[in-house]
Amino acid sequence: MSEVGDRMFCHACGGVWLRDESGLTCPHCASDFTEIIEIPPEETHDDPPELEPIDRTSPHHFNPLDPLADHNPWARPESPEERGEYGDSFFAGGGSPAYSRRLYRSPDGRFTFSSTTIGGGSSPHPGGGQPNPLVPMMVQSLDMIFQGLAETYNHQGHQGLSEDPSHMGSPGWGESHSPRASAPPGAEGLFPRDANAPQPMVPPVGNLAELLDAFRTDFGAPRRGGIRGPHVMTGPNPLAILSTLFNADHNGDAVYSQEELDRVISQLVDQNVNGTAAPPASGTAIHNLPKKKIDQQMLGTDGKAECSICMEAVDLGTEVTVLPCTHWFHFPCIEAWLSQHNTCPHCRRGIDSAGGTGAGTSENPVVIPDSPEQVAPQRRRSSVLTVRSGRSSRSAEAREPVSRRTSRSDNSHGGGGGGISGWVWSRFGGSS
Amino acid sequence: MGSQKRIAKELGELVQSPPDGITVELADESNLYDWKVHMEGPEGSPFEKGRFLIKLTLPTGYPFKPPSVSFATKIYHPNVTNDDKGSMCLGMLRPDEWKPSSKISAVLEFARQLLAEPMPDDAVEGRIAEQYKNDRKRYEEIARDWTRKHAT
Repeated sequence: MSEVGDRMFCHACGGVWLRDESGLTCPHCASDFTEIIEIPPEETHDDPPELEPIDRTSPHHFNPLDPLADHNPWARPESPEERGEYGDSFFAGGGSPAYSRRLYRSPDGRFTFSSTTIGGGSSPHPGGGQPNPLVPMMVQSLDMIFQGLAETYNHQGHQGLSEDPSHMGSPGWGESHSPRASAPPGAEGLFPRDANAPQPMVPPVGNLAELLDAFRTDFGAPRRGGIRGPHVMTGPNPLAILSTLFNADHNGDAVYSQEELDRVISQLVDQNVNGTAAPPASGTAIHNLPKKKIDQQMLGTDGKAECSICMEAVDLGTEVTVLPCTHWFHFPCIEAWLSQHNTCPHCRRGIDSAGGTGAGTSENPVVIPDSPEQVAPQRRRSSVLTVRSGRSSRSAEAREPVSRRTSRSDNSHGGGGGGISGWVWSRFGGSS
Repeated sequence: MGSQKRIAKELGELVQSPPDGITVELADESNLYDWKVHMEGPEGSPFEKGRFLIKLTLPTGYPFKPPSVSFATKIYHPNVTNDDKGSMCLGMLRPDEWKPSSKISAVLEFARQLLAEPMPDDAVEGRIAEQYKNDRKRYEEIARDWTRKHAT
């Protein structure tokens, strides 16, 4: 363990070195604005062999700028005996589980992070304890699914997307990945590339949403004839669910990415520019307002009148739109206002109140924009006049894709439950 | 859009028959949306004899969106922010209270009325509002002093 020691990072020049070798001050720029990058002690085992830095023995020699550039302390064991050994020593009580670690490194070597995956094996290890039988089964099934996906891809000639999960990362990030123990038989295809050898040219994938879209597009195409291996296309496409989770299609209520959160927040901010002002009226409600030609009575005593929105004089015979409160305006003028607020620009009475009765009665309450009462007249309008308010129609649209998805999954399962639970059932509880 | 026609009309009316103590002009002849307003402090108020420059800005959505009023001249008033913006808080200009049938002349007359009668419960400068309510004499002293210093 002392062989690894603490890594140091220089905030001034970005250099990386080992604390044991060069101390706390940057050996490159002599800056003392440095940080100790602590390597957490390995708790899952006390097996020193993997921790031995390979660069000591490998032909790649020590690079002062990045001593860990070729460092791969978790190189895959060479011989099957060794594998078995690891399996034993790591998981004495388990059933030969898969245990792998990935080390990601940025192109300039300045940042690294690692991820560890622990999965159950497919068969109980002889002499081992009794593992939870569900775990290996699920892991194996997942492996099979992803292998199946990968095969689908290879069959369709998609060079850009193979089973190598490293393509999910942004281009330019190196990855070394090394399993430490035997993996389930079904997961052989998931073994990583050799990080020390030249890699096949792979066009970069822009972002996760694109990637998922690409998967989904393929599943939509009826080209399933040549697929070998596990049948992964039953039920709703798991990637469709995944992409919904990541909001690749912008209709979910929940968000899982910063980008989406920003979008939702800015949308909320936009909606609230008007504060507690009255909500917009629906297009139908605006167009259903009665129109009338200006008569002598409407002109008033001095024989003149103007539309109080554009302040243009209105002549006898001009067609105007009359609100339930009897205030009238040019149609384009009142349309522009009502599409922002559903109240009369003069007296603020809601345009959805039934005409005739005066404002303030129980039959025709005054709509105070920021009062909860506002809900009531809207509801009445939608039931009596069967005109949907802007709000309800929006939410109906938002719900639609969800119901579509549900019905699709229902079809494919013959009513055996939809959504993720149905998919899980079909994978783990059904024919598999 | 129709808003320019209305703005031009309102400007014409205000120039032809200006309300008491208020004169308006465009800050830039080619831009109808930025107005320069000179307002005389109402008689009997500590702002009397002061001449305040007010910037009136109309949004492109006018008259569907409210104009904004800010004092370019420093003024000691509970309803005007004591910063370089000098924003005036007018209830009728709040988005939820604005009505497109309100005219700019009404806005300006309302603003001038607010100089004479501050609304300490709707204040943007709480300290001045407190003083206005509890120590009217001192408030008027400072306001008069500021008027003499900045608005004459």
